[in-house]
Amino acid sequence: MSIEMKQISKTFGSSQALHFIDLTIEEGEFVAILGPSGCGKTTLLRILAGFEQPTTGHISLNGKVVAGDGILLPPEKRRIGMVFQSFALWPHMNVTEHIRFPIRTHKETPAKIKQNEQERVSQVLELTGLSKLALRMPHELSGGQKQRVAIARAIAPEPSLLLMDEPLSSLDAMLRMDMRREIQDVHRRTRSAIVYVTHDQGEALAMADRIVVMKDGRIEQAGTPQDIYLHPQTEFVAKFVSKANLVEGRWVNNRFVPQESDGVDWPGLQIATHFKNHGLYPVRPDQFILAKEGGAGLSGEVINVQFQGKEFHYNIRCGSRNWEVISPLSFGMNEKVALSLAKD
Amino acid sequence: MSEVQSYTTPHSQLDQGKGRKPFSVLSRIFGKKGAAAWLGGAAVLLFFVLPILKLILLSFQGDEGLTLAHYNELLQQKRFWSTLRSTAIIVAGSTVLSLVLGIATAWLIAYTDVPRKRMLHMAILLCFILPSYILTLSWSSFMGTQGIVAKLLEGLSPGLMPWSMYSMGGIVFVMGIHHFPLVYLLTLDVFRKIPRDLEWAARAGGAGRIETFRRITLPVALPGLTAGGLLVFLASLDNFGIPAFLGTPVNISVLSTLIYEEIIGFGPSAFARGASLSVLLGLAAIMGSLLQWLLLRKSHASDTIQPDVSPRYVLGKAGKWVSALLWSFLLLVTVVPLSSMLSMSLKKAYGLGLTVSNLTLHNYRYILFENPRVWQAIQNSLVLSGVTMLVCLLIGSCFAYMRVRKPSRLNRLAELAASVPYTLPGIVFALSMILVWMEPVPGWNPGIYGTMAILFIAYICRFMILQVRSGVTAFMQVDSSMEEAARISGAGLWRSWTAVLLPLTLPGILTGGLLVFLTALTELTVSALLYSSGSQTIGVTIFSFEQAGETLYSTALSSLIVVLIAAGGALVLLVQKWAARKGVRS
Repeated sequence: MSIEMKQISKTFGSSQALHFIDLTIEEGEFVAILGPSGCGKTTLLRILAGFEQPTTGHISLNGKVVAGDGILLPPEKRRIGMVFQSFALWPHMNVTEHIRFPIRTHKETPAKIKQNEQERVSQVLELTGLSKLALRMPHELSGGQKQRVAIARAIAPEPSLLLMDEPLSSLDAMLRMDMRREIQDVHRRTRSAIVYVTHDQGEALAMADRIVVMKDGRIEQAGTPQDIYLHPQTEFVAKFVSKANLVEGRWVNNRFVPQESDGVDWPGLQIATHFKNHGLYPVRPDQFILAKEGGAGLSGEVINVQFQGKEFHYNIRCGSRNWEVISPLSFGMNEKVALSLAKD
Repeated sequence: MSEVQSYTTPHSQLDQGKGRKPFSVLSRIFGKKGAAAWLGGAAVLLFFVLPILKLILLSFQGDEGLTLAHYNELLQQKRFWSTLRSTAIIVAGSTVLSLVLGIATAWLIAYTDVPRKRMLHMAILLCFILPSYILTLSWSSFMGTQGIVAKLLEGLSPGLMPWSMYSMGGIVFVMGIHHFPLVYLLTLDVFRKIPRDLEWAARAGGAGRIETFRRITLPVALPGLTAGGLLVFLASLDNFGIPAFLGTPVNISVLSTLIYEEIIGFGPSAFARGASLSVLLGLAAIMGSLLQWLLLRKSHASDTIQPDVSPRYVLGKAGKWVSALLWSFLLLVTVVPLSSMLSMSLKKAYGLGLTVSNLTLHNYRYILFENPRVWQAIQNSLVLSGVTMLVCLLIGSCFAYMRVRKPSRLNRLAELAASVPYTLPGIVFALSMILVWMEPVPGWNPGIYGTMAILFIAYICRFMILQVRSGVTAFMQVDSSMEEAARISGAGLWRSWTAVLLPLTLPGILTGGLLVFLTALTELTVSALLYSSGSQTIGVTIFSFEQAGETLYSTALSSLIVVLIAAGGALVLLVQKWAARKGVRS
């Protein structure tokens, strides 16, 4: 199912949560909507689900308008599955009953699933690794198991679109890594389109086919994970996704001369025009190369070190600025260093 | 409206919260949200706001325009001042007694390892579950010249008499033991929510147990304790049964009984004087609840703290003694007087000793089969409380749902308005009901006053808030995402209610309904002013028996009611057990 959103905006009272969003999602595509809290990503998801109506614009699923022009198709009539942040499991139903509920209740469930209900239930149980827990009640499950039930319930009637609202945010760090793999697996095996809302850039980069970065109700940048990470178009994306340092300086013929430096210039063919217009150069922490004092580049001083196993995270003071740098080499506190740019 | 939902007005989604949904039950019924809101608003105004306005207006109304004459007249009466004095003494005395008993029991249950806490909890609540007039009757029969105490004292030394319950002290005592469970309930929660590391920190800092309680536990719990005290203050102002049974025979009156006597006495300006007294009493009550609300709002932060139920103090060997003391206190306060009342009701005649040959079921036969008025009263009360429960269940639960899922300024105001009839002292509320329904529109008397109809209206208005509160609590425990999960799984409005919402909230809602039923069944204050011949209730009938000196009949009927309440209580426990077995938890 392809989803098309045209000029979607949403106001709550006097505050505008979304500003004229245009977004198309292709069949089977995994799209991550990434942004800080309050950027409107959850509102966008709830509009897609049918829990909110857009103030302007319209949405069509497979060419059929479901919202807009005075039309609002309620959530139960869209072929959508949804995984909630708080799991939203029903305390009075066991795992099997959770999976059976949408199969039986949803009017849009394909007939072949409805007729082979038991088979579909065990298939979904198996897919989500819940076969042994089929009769457990929600309070008898761990956090990760609850999340799997929520996913199982969402995919049971084979929805053509799966919405996920920060599904991993209530799990602990280790479990989150495992669940990433499981969600990718579900995506590969069901081939349904997924819209995945998150504030964790790691999750978005790891799983999505395409990332939509949002800020203040607007789309800041959309593209593949590599594209977003390596070629941010705005300062916000550079900082939020790539954790980049924004170095100030002058642009001369596609080469960059940082402030407070002598004889240093960096190549900048691939840097977005926005940065060139503002005299900025985004440098990711891993793009810097640290060397002993006296080497080429900007000179600085180590003001904090954190050992992370395979690398060190440094805070380096260069003049009045403070840069974050990741390096495999070891330097001590207050040591003088030289900063240069890694060659692509 | 089938496939396609029309837009609802944008202003309906003013406040941004998690639980917004584009459809509501009412918008389906009325098509337009505006209409429903207007209708609801009008109903709230008519049933909850108008009565109070009429009451206030009447208290200022003279032959020509507004006047302070009624208040002036009041202030010059000696009776008014003596009533005010005894009201102050009774309210203050019983509040202090309730606070002491409530805090002590709450501390024991919350912090120590005293055994059988669940049973103790129920025994403590029993004092409040019993209607105040039945508790009064049981105590007056227990301490009366015919009672057990008198016999014991007589045996000790002839001429020794028990302390008369028909006195200021008696009223203070019964009111105190009737209301202490209120303090207990509120304080228990407050105590359990105080993090124990606060106390540990004090102990580590060198404070002993007693100093820790005095300097840490007590100050932290103070807002909650004060709120409990104010709740008892309100309940004592409101109470009519205890002073009416114990005070009226010896000419002690409090504000609530004075208003009753004014209205029943029916003089030329009885209503006006009753109204001005009511305004004064209502004002005191409103001030009290405002103060309580402010205090509770301050301690709102503790809402998210999980109560800590494991014991903090080990009683050790003293445990047995504490437990025995607590149980004998609770038995002495309720069960012993109740059995005294029961034995009184089985006597052939007032004044006979308690021997087998003097026992009879005649009193029960009389009230059940020979006196048609009693039968009618029981029927009236059952029908009244049944209908009240059903109406409250339906309207109260729907309103509670809207209040939780679509909070708005409008429905917050509506909830506030609905809480007024329950906050106001019953006698004040009853008078305001008379004023409105005698003549809702000037010149038009629909004949509601003087029939069962006014009792229906009054009960529903007064007890609606109980259902709303339990509904709100029940719906709050079900996150809106549970419903949304049902919707997204293909369930329409109806199916998401029946499959998800109702199974999860029904225990809470039904408990609320039973609370309304039991409260309405034994109601006395409102009915005492509003009943007429043919529409008397159980409470009124016991009251009339007592006023006529028919102690044997009043104790027999009261004993029957206690059995009914016990059955209702058992039903509540069953509902809760059933809910627990279904694995429903918040």
